[in-house]
Amino acid sequence: MTVGELKQKADLSYDISVAKKNALERAESRQIIAHNEHLFKADAQTICLVKTLSEQKDKFFVLDTNDNPCEIKDPANFLNKLIERNQETLNAYSQIHETFKRR
Amino acid sequence: MSTGVLLYCSNTPTYQYHRVAERCVELIKKNLKLEITIVTDAETYKKFKPLGFINYKLIEPELGNKRNGEQWNQLERCHAYDHSPYDTTILMDCDYFCYTDNLLTYTNIEDDFLLHDKIHDITGKGTYDFRENSIIPMLWATVIVFKKTDRAKRIFDMVKYIKQHYHYFCKLYRIDFPNYRNDYAFTMAINQVNGNKQQTFLPGKIPTLPALAKIIEVKETGIVFEYDDKINEIENQDVHLISKEIFNV
Repeated sequence: MTVGELKQKADLSYDISVAKKNALERAESRQIIAHNEHLFKADAQTICLVKTLSEQKDKFFVLDTNDNPCEIKDPANFLNKLIERNQETLNAYSQIHETFKRR
Repeated sequence: MSTGVLLYCSNTPTYQYHRVAERCVELIKKNLKLEITIVTDAETYKKFKPLGFINYKLIEPELGNKRNGEQWNQLERCHAYDHSPYDTTILMDCDYFCYTDNLLTYTNIEDDFLLHDKIHDITGKGTYDFRENSIIPMLWATVIVFKKTDRAKRIFDMVKYIKQHYHYFCKLYRIDFPNYRNDYAFTMAINQVNGNKQQTFLPGKIPTLPALAKIIEVKETGIVFEYDDKINEIENQDVHLISKEIFNV
């Protein structure tokens, strides 16, 4: 492989890395949802926490994105919203990710 | 409870901001579907094409602020609390293009004043590392979501006071940005109102395309831009555009 070809590959790698970062940012900003006038991120951590707490209690408190406490009175509905938004964003991200593989 | 978007837009000798605002309004109508109020001056108002139902508030813009030697009208934002007719307001720069409805999420919450504390440089170059330019972390006044509460009013009143004594406050916070900048004015105001503590923020980062990236096309769903001799595109993602040359064509 010539130096020119190496440079081309390195440039492509870099471009994919930047595009991936942008796609992830897009997914993460879309993961923010409002529930009971509080903001939450529909990420794996929140989903696991809500799932775990909902198995033990019907009502519980969680912290929102600004560390304010929020009482969750409808865990099933909240968990459903979190999972739906999480999968919506990851599905979109996965489609973009496929285009990286083809490059 | 009413919710709407408040934009400030005044043309300068260098930039036709009304053309930026026109695109911004189209995207707000399409994706946020909220009522819009534009605060502008009479000369700029005459240049707007018909945009459908928009509330216009005409003001006489304060002049004197400059950036890189060019006129930079950024002095009226501190009056947003008084200018806004809404209970919940999304105050945004007219160069913030909403390609999603993400901002709607922030209007259904109990916090009464939120703005971004983090930024994402779409070119991946980390252009906006300003941590060493002041002794407090800089906040971004590009998008501010506020409600008509006493606390929000105190913040805006504080911004007005800081504007009057801007150079003093710049020295106090060791800010090395000599011309008036809303980002710093709001950063300092929030710091003062909160008793030298920072406050709550909008989650996530504000996606920004820096001035070094040349915008090639503004599409219905995204932006095509050139950077580092490469053509790139972002789609279905909100974006703050710094380069505005394309709107002068």
